[in-house]
Amino acid sequence: MTAKTSKHEFRSNTVPAFVTVGPVAVLLLFLVVAPLVLVAVMSFCRTDEFYNVVYKFTAVNYTKLFSVDYLRIYGQSLLIAFVTTVICVLVGYPFAYVIARNKTKWKKLLYMLVIIPFWTNSLIRIYGWRAFLGSSGWLNKLLMTLHIVSEPVDFLYKTGTTILGMVYCFIPFMVLPLYTAIEKLDGSLLEASSDLGAKPIRTLFEVIIPLTASGIFSGCIMVFIPCLGYFFVSYILGGGNTDMIGNLIERQFKSANNWPLGAALSIILILVTLLLVKLYQKLGGDMDNLGV
Amino acid sequence: MKISKKESKEKRNKGLSIGFCSMVYLFLFIPIFVVVSNSFNATTSKPYLSWKGFTFDWYLKLWDNTSLLSSFGNTIIIAVSSTVLATIIGTLGAIGIYRYKFRGKGIINGLLYIPVVIPEIVIGIALLTIFSNVKIPRGMLTLILSHVSFSVPYVIFNVRARLSGYDKSIEEASMDLGANRVVTFFEITLPTLAPGIAGGALLAFTLSIDDVIISYFVNGQTKTYPLKVMESIKSGVSPDVNALSTLVLIGTIGLVFLTQSGLLTGKHKKI
Amino acid sequence: MKRKILAGLISLSLLALAVTGCGGKSSEKAGDNGELNLFVWTEYLPDSVVSKFEKETGIKVNVSTYSSNEDMLAKVKSETAGAYDVLNPSDYMVAQLIAQDMLKPLDFDQLPNFSHIGESYKNPSYDPGNVYSVPYMGGAGAIAVNTDKVDIEITSYADLFNPALEGKLVVLDDFRAVIGMTAKAIGYDLNETDPARLAEVSDKLMELKKNVVLYDSDSPKSALISGDCDAGMIWSAEVAMAMEEVPSIEVIYPEEGPYLFLDNWVVTKESPNYDNAMKWINFVMDPDNMAMILEEFPYLCANTDAIAKMGDSYSGNLAKNPPADAIASGSYVQNLDSDVLDIYSEMWTKLKE
Repeated sequence: MTAKTSKHEFRSNTVPAFVTVGPVAVLLLFLVVAPLVLVAVMSFCRTDEFYNVVYKFTAVNYTKLFSVDYLRIYGQSLLIAFVTTVICVLVGYPFAYVIARNKTKWKKLLYMLVIIPFWTNSLIRIYGWRAFLGSSGWLNKLLMTLHIVSEPVDFLYKTGTTILGMVYCFIPFMVLPLYTAIEKLDGSLLEASSDLGAKPIRTLFEVIIPLTASGIFSGCIMVFIPCLGYFFVSYILGGGNTDMIGNLIERQFKSANNWPLGAALSIILILVTLLLVKLYQKLGGDMDNLGV
Repeated sequence: MKISKKESKEKRNKGLSIGFCSMVYLFLFIPIFVVVSNSFNATTSKPYLSWKGFTFDWYLKLWDNTSLLSSFGNTIIIAVSSTVLATIIGTLGAIGIYRYKFRGKGIINGLLYIPVVIPEIVIGIALLTIFSNVKIPRGMLTLILSHVSFSVPYVIFNVRARLSGYDKSIEEASMDLGANRVVTFFEITLPTLAPGIAGGALLAFTLSIDDVIISYFVNGQTKTYPLKVMESIKSGVSPDVNALSTLVLIGTIGLVFLTQSGLLTGKHKKI
Repeated sequence: MKRKILAGLISLSLLALAVTGCGGKSSEKAGDNGELNLFVWTEYLPDSVVSKFEKETGIKVNVSTYSSNEDMLAKVKSETAGAYDVLNPSDYMVAQLIAQDMLKPLDFDQLPNFSHIGESYKNPSYDPGNVYSVPYMGGAGAIAVNTDKVDIEITSYADLFNPALEGKLVVLDDFRAVIGMTAKAIGYDLNETDPARLAEVSDKLMELKKNVVLYDSDSPKSALISGDCDAGMIWSAEVAMAMEEVPSIEVIYPEEGPYLFLDNWVVTKESPNYDNAMKWINFVMDPDNMAMILEEFPYLCANTDAIAKMGDSYSGNLAKNPPADAIASGSYVQNLDSDVLDIYSEMWTKLKE
């Protein structure tokens, strides 16, 4: 009797649980866990003379990674990602604030105008920047027509150009979460603060920013981390002379034919990411605010 | 006196914020202007950057560029099939994770964040590694599998957000009234979750359609539209690519405005 | 949030249905006689020639492109066997592919047009007896200079290291070409293997780093035409194409002797469309078809009968048809040991950071 009930219970819960969660579990196992484990294993391997991966333990890839050159590229990538994030906050915050506190009928349109550019393929927009900033591009033509400069200025293929492209790619990921956070702000709080005699600047730092901190944090994570891996921005706008971690990994899996080294570089990148996410959680960030 | 000073200050602030926002909008739209205007460029020599006069030719030539069109077709096929798969798997998964107790639930929940937070390039090389090790030929299949793998978490998050406000007692009532599990699922559970599912599906679709980095590693010889653009960037983007982008942009904007104004959903038809 | 960003994109599918309808149908026209998967260099094969082949033979051709020999090797090796039929490797890469047993011998009964290839191009050292390969086009890593913008005299690779050229150069995004050029500039071999000398080359590269703003193997002429770069070391035919757009650009073959390359047609070992591959190789060796290719991409050509059709605009142009003494003084890339290649890779990483 008892056996029968528990068998029934087993059926009634295990089968549906299996049917519903099974596919996700299989997917995660084969397309997330297994690939990453394989990458971790491969990072301890080396290649033979024909660039084939030889599954034999070595730590040589990691010792290589701690050479000055690779560390410098890591430093440079982190710096570029950091500068990009800071610019996104500095520009994105006031921008999001103005749209979110806008009370006219144009608010919805203003919001849509942030999104519309992103309905065009991202690569072709980055290429549009190249056409705009080039020696014979629009900007130089304008500057020369206005007699501001007499010869074309070299805007392209600099670290700054890469940062510009990164800011361009990621600024909506900063603006939109900030918009949501700022829109939720209770207007009466701000009034109360100013009624109590607080200067606007004090209201900003003691009321507005703390209340929208969650938006800033999640925006920063959503800009900083993907920035490290976006190899095509520095490829298109950086001229191939400002390598980032992404370019380095891409090269190992393509022209350099050194998958184990690329795997080791990826493992480091994963560790950096996890560290940042941990920090984000420590600061009280909600995982569900990322990416959605 | 004091009031007018305050007013003038407010006016100045308003001017400042309008100026600042216009600059940001300009920044966002500069490349769009470049892309659209270059689709009318009469130039025929690479790298297609200098302006040689106005023409509509590229909008006609576009229809002869079969490799560009078929890459766009591939993108749509991949986006639609990966969205359908991800939506089904994700919706079931979200319900199952929410409802049932089982071992490893915490692990699954944790793993779901991986494709969301890890930089795409790592996902791309990891998928390439596994596909090449188990010898699955790279192409449509691997593209669809990869796109499913990175979209499922987003579907789950969207459905889960809907589930958290979900009242289980309606389902129990349905079962009490004699409906079986399957009927209850289709008649009660799904309609309630519909907005979350639709949101997740939309997100999966948009992620798939603009994906470059992961596709770049697992595409084999199947070209998607973003990869085709990447290839054309190597030798100078020809204006017909700009023309297609412009058409897509116009089409999207048009449809959004139609849906927003309710013409498509038929909201206005009710008198 | 992303949902909001792209909320409207779902509508794309509607638009796309129309597009795929058209695109799908027209691309099925050719294909009655099977398929052929080509993997070639970017900017090396005109679309018009591919569609002519499709029309004549009813074979559907899928073209993919690569930017360096190593890129090609990586992609071919990472794909399942038989993903590509025909590859377009340079000299040393042919040897490498043969060594890795990745190629299938050619069937010369199906390649009557091989007779149009010049005798001096036959029987190369990297593939004795042309068992696996037939030559296509080649050239030199030539120097391009926009004389309107560069005042210093440039006659050698070493001159490209002149600080006066800071921030002005475009060079090939190819580690063997750039490192080889640097080795030549300080008097060493294009294929230098001595670690001590390579250390010197590495230091010299840091001088080059200041001058180079763009690494581009695909279409380096673009940056010269648009004026973003004023000089560089690029494929000789790319200089020729830049010269046609901007008359003040000149071609210079370096005193040290240029870096040379010769690209070939080969068939992969597991090629599922071997006969179609033979048809393709025979097709491009036809002098008329080869002349069509040379009109668009004027490289040094192994097909002497095609050159005869080109006339003086080709033969008389130094960039299109490099002079014999430049070729004689130049050298080809050789395969190196993996330890040495590791050093090359490290140098390249350091250069591009």
